[in-house]
Amino acid sequence: MSQEHAGEKNVPVIELRHVDKHYGDLHVLRDVSLSVARGEVVVIIGPSGSGKSTLCRTINRLETIDSGEILIEGEPLPQEGRELARMRSELGMVFQQFNLFAHMSVLDNVTLGPREVLGQQKEEAERYALELLGRVGVAEQAHKVPAQLSGGQQQRAAIARSLAMRPKAMLFDEPTSALDPEMINEVLDVMVELARGGMTMIVVTHEMGFARRVADRVVFMADGQIVEEGVPDAFFDHPKSQRARDFLDSIKGH
Amino acid sequence: MGLSELLGTYGDKYLQGLLATWSMTVVSFVFVMALAVVVTVARVSPYRPLRVAGDLYVQVFRNIPGVALLIIIAYALPELRIVLDWRTCVIVTTILLGSAFGSENFMSGINTIGVGQIEAARSLGLTFTQIIRKIVVPQALRTTVLPMTNLLIAVMLTTALGSQVPLNPQELTGVVSYVNTRATGGILVFLVSALCYVGTGFVISFVGNRIDRRVRILR
Repeated sequence: MSQEHAGEKNVPVIELRHVDKHYGDLHVLRDVSLSVARGEVVVIIGPSGSGKSTLCRTINRLETIDSGEILIEGEPLPQEGRELARMRSELGMVFQQFNLFAHMSVLDNVTLGPREVLGQQKEEAERYALELLGRVGVAEQAHKVPAQLSGGQQQRAAIARSLAMRPKAMLFDEPTSALDPEMINEVLDVMVELARGGMTMIVVTHEMGFARRVADRVVFMADGQIVEEGVPDAFFDHPKSQRARDFLDSIKGH
Repeated sequence: MGLSELLGTYGDKYLQGLLATWSMTVVSFVFVMALAVVVTVARVSPYRPLRVAGDLYVQVFRNIPGVALLIIIAYALPELRIVLDWRTCVIVTTILLGSAFGSENFMSGINTIGVGQIEAARSLGLTFTQIIRKIVVPQALRTTVLPMTNLLIAVMLTTALGSQVPLNPQELTGVVSYVNTRATGGILVFLVSALCYVGTGFVISFVGNRIDRRVRILR
């Protein structure tokens, strides 16, 4: 099925329809609808607590939703079990805290998914892993454990780990927020390359420069809602909503 | 009775006792670790009844005195037509007690694994079983070498319960009772067994420390 869908140009890779979610009394996602086309780069920005990370995490069901629908290439996201695992394997996810497996070498981190989930042989998985680690610039660190790498190197290795699954789309949940300033660009550069290579991406970030340069569309969230969306130049230069204007003013201040 | 006379007369008995203690310790510990893994997997599983059963197991066996449990197994189970030989009774008691503590060690080891790593594994598409096998168990094992070393020593000491039932051959503590009913060796009779325990414990902790330094996970 998914192969047939992949052929259809018009089916969005990721689609959210009227998604709602509560944490107890807190309404974290309010009737969120979003559609991401193949090859599109969508950057989600907004003040902290606006629900943007939660939104990102619902797409591969690290967070469940109360109501609404999430479709991956037109197919509803499975509830749990093997079907959900298979769907997750087709979406790459990059976390704020890198989350590399602490007891494994960087190379083993990257080959684990392909070997366990895709059933690849060790040699095949390692060949591709080394190619990817080279592409993100950490090939020399392949045999070290994560704790021996800098934050920027860890995050690039984590991106390679996701890419090794040959995902249909990549989700980035504040990928540079835990990094020292001098390491932010090395990670963003990798993401820019990915975007230029045609990867479908959803990026939750505070890096406005990246959003302006790379995004096909900027989505501004506040209080669990999508308040405004548009192409970067229009959004940053002429925000329509007061909330967006306030937010952009508040980060421009320094 | 002096030390040389004591060892001259009962040396073989002590040696047999030491070997009996060692063998019961090894057999018990293998099952302690295996059962601790099983119980711990149940306690972190997505199925509530399994989690509850695992927690209950730990609460029950962590809170029963060893002697009481041995009495139940040796003297109450035969009422249910379950008759185990004496050595097996001691070993089963030790396994039940030890695995409860072992599971607690594993749980604290698992708690050092950030939830982020589990989420990363899930988002790669790994199933629960794969995550347990590839991420959780290896890290839990490697971060709990020192507490498990302590547990191994505790398991050895627990096999002294063997002195409460007629074992043949007797283990180290049983040998003390045996000798004391036949000779007046005083404190010395205890001391020989005590040195065997302490010496073994010393070797265990030395090896445990070496293993810990080799496998410890950098964070």
